[in-house]
Amino acid sequence: MADKTYLSDIKEIRVNENSPLFDKTGMLYKEFPSDYRQIRYFTLLIVQSAPLEIKEINLLEQQISEVIKNAVKHGNRCEPAKKVRVWYSFDSTHAHLVVQDEGEGFKDMEKWNDFNRKRLEILSAQDFEKLADWVSFRTQKSDDNDGGNALFAALEYWNGGFVFNDARNAVAMLKSFPQKKHAIG
Amino acid sequence: MELKIRKNGNNYIIDVNGEMDLYNSYKLKELVMKMLEKKVERFIINLENVDYIDSSGIGALIYICSTIKKMSFRLIITNIHGSVKKVIELTKLMGYFPITNSIEEAIMQMED
Repeated sequence: MADKTYLSDIKEIRVNENSPLFDKTGMLYKEFPSDYRQIRYFTLLIVQSAPLEIKEINLLEQQISEVIKNAVKHGNRCEPAKKVRVWYSFDSTHAHLVVQDEGEGFKDMEKWNDFNRKRLEILSAQDFEKLADWVSFRTQKSDDNDGGNALFAALEYWNGGFVFNDARNAVAMLKSFPQKKHAIG
Repeated sequence: MELKIRKNGNNYIIDVNGEMDLYNSYKLKELVMKMLEKKVERFIINLENVDYIDSSGIGALIYICSTIKKMSFRLIITNIHGSVKKVIELTKLMGYFPITNSIEEAIMQMED
């Protein structure tokens, strides 16, 4: 039986440079060279300023690491002279980042959205045999270490938005966390 | 990441210890491919000691799962927990991977 929950809210990656998510006022800033070996280290330098309650063990770190990896590898093609610039802001209710590279931009965005729509249709039909061909988004530039699934999770995780600028080489994202109610003594 | 293989009847259990990230997930893929060359047909991948997985790790599991399914051999992934489970859920692959809660359950399913 079809599971329509997958189709009820199909999210897409969009371009919207005017999104308030690109407002960097008051955000912290770091920049890094495009060194593939140091992606997780760079990520930790950013995540260390996040309060423990939003780290969800290491889910926040993992999701930020994916975005930085995309900037280093797919954006800047691991050219060390090209920088990855990160603006970030955390508190107990939100994680907000803007990550920018010096690459040519995410040219395959429309193909990715088409692929994701098809993937969700197949998930909805619960056709797991067919799904085998739709679990990993590949391009001519993909290699064996590319899982091809990071953005599927990103769109779900960043519940406050995941949008690109016009040049498609910067992405802004927001995750909101439910405010914990404190008992009144 | 450290990989250990142990045998239970006809089942080969791979205990993964450490982080399945962009720097080492290929090791699990390579190990399974070598075991397939040696005619191993029943795999249980135990993720009890894995607390971190990224898209490369998920990609390695997808590759392993697809390869074993195509060959009509058997695979079960077990003891998924914490953020590893959350990442698989975010990717909507819980229904795609053959998953059990414990090694015992995996062995029982292998016998079915």
